[in-house]
Order: sequence, then structure tokens, then C-alpha cells
Amino acid sequence: MATTCTISVASDIAPGFAGINETMTLTQAGTLTDIDSTTGFSIRKLSATGAVDLVTMANELVEPKDSVAAKIYIRNIGHKGVIDKSAGVTIGINAEPIGKLYGGDWLMMPLTCIDADDITANPENDSTVVLEYMMFYEEA
Amino acid sequence: MATTTAAVTLSSDLLSDNISVSASSTLMKAGTTADGLDQIEYGYIDLPTGDEYDLIATTPTAGKASKLYVKNHSTDETLFISITQNSQAIGKLYAGDWMFIPADFHDAAADIAITANGGTIEFCYAIFHEGTTLLAT
Repeated sequence: MATTCTISVASDIAPGFAGINETMTLTQAGTLTDIDSTTGFSIRKLSATGAVDLVTMANELVEPKDSVAAKIYIRNIGHKGVIDKSAGVTIGINAEPIGKLYGGDWLMMPLTCIDADDITANPENDSTVVLEYMMFYEEA
Repeated sequence: MATTTAAVTLSSDLLSDNISVSASSTLMKAGTTADGLDQIEYGYIDLPTGDEYDLIATTPTAGKASKLYVKNHSTDETLFISITQNSQAIGKLYAGDWMFIPADFHDAAADIAITANGGTIEFCYAIFHEGTTLLAT
């Protein structure tokens, strides 16, 4: 079966925009070989502002290979079934803020997996939110 | 209200049993449930090798709820697009790979930059955003 990810975007912002429907199979860099490692599925509860590491690359028990075809899925799933669109969490790489996941929002992003390029999460307020996430990578 | 929904289905057999995650989100303006993102840019472009290019020419308003989609449409698995923001490497999109991320554009230097590696790459992108106005000539 491999690892696959499908995105479907529908929008009525612009007349004529046909939407996005694409599926990718996660492969190792430069080959058609399936990606072979994952952190597994995890959740992290956050209840205060301040950046924390969601993934600390140097601490992964199966060391990720650097600068290849790694990906991460992250979603802000709210707290106890309540999705709060005002509770945003800024996701960053190293010291660079990438963008904010509001309640229900998700991302699928490529990664370098270099030790300095940890994945950070920084809530914008003290509301409790939970992030679910799963990283896919090549074993070093 | 404009309505944009983004759904994802992720399936993997890397664990002892198959895992499948499905999620959908309606893309709202920053911090609200009352109004959806109402602006869009999208395109399908050739990305030549040799230089780094800013993907977004007109920076959407910073600190909002913009979302960015990029797909490498190459069929040669050795060709990849390097993605950076503000000189920070994000990662690489190999042939067929796509990404969908929130994009903060926190200042003028925080545009998403892309570089083709191995040859010219056809790619497509879409950005869903709010609050952008045209720049005067």
C-alpha cells in the first residue's frame, strides 16, 4: 500500500477555479522506492504561549536522513472535541515561523530533518489546543 | 461568504497495522468563524534551473490565515524543487510531491522561494488569502 496522501480543495472564491484533487505517494529522494520510516502518530497538548519543539530531530530514536524527502502532517484538532478557530498555533522550522494553524487547520510540509531544523509550535494564547502529527522520513 | 474547504486523507502501512487519517477544514480569515478567505492566486508555470525565485510576487497581508499549495508536476523522480522561506530551508518536493501549508509572510523577506534542481520543472501553486491590495505602479 505504501504511504499516500490526498488533498482535495474546493473553493468558490474565483469563478472557473476547478479545485485541487491530487494524490502523492511518499517516496525516498530521487527514486520510486517507498518512504520507509515514521515517527508514528502523536498528539501534543499546549496550554500556554511560548514555542516548544514538536519534533526535535536530534532526539529521534531512528535517525532521519538529512535533506531528502521527509514530510510532516500536523493538524490543530482543538480540545475535547471543540474546534476553536481563534486558537491559532504558529508552526515553525528552526527559528523561522512558517504559518499559523487555526482550529481544524492542517498542513503537509516537506522537511530537511537537519538537527537544527526542529519543528516548533507556538500557541498565540493560553487556550488549550491539541496538535496531532506524524512525520515520514528516510532512515539515515 | 466565500467558502474554501481543504481536505486531506493520509494512509500508511509503515506500522503494524494500516493507519488512515482524514480531515477537512474550512479556510477562514484569521481568528474568525464568520468569514472565509476571499482571495486566491494560482498558476501553472515552468521553473527553470539556475536561480532561486520568489513564488509570490505580491506579498499577501502578513500575519493572516493564508494557505499555500505547491505541487511538483515533473514525472522524472530525480527532479526536485527546493523550498525556502527567509533563507530557512523548508524541504524538497520531488516529482509528484505536493505541500499545503499555512503561510505567515511575516515580513517582506518571508516570501516563499523555490529552486528547480536537475532540470526545468513544471509546477503549480495556489494561495488562498485575505486582505491583499494591489501595489501602485
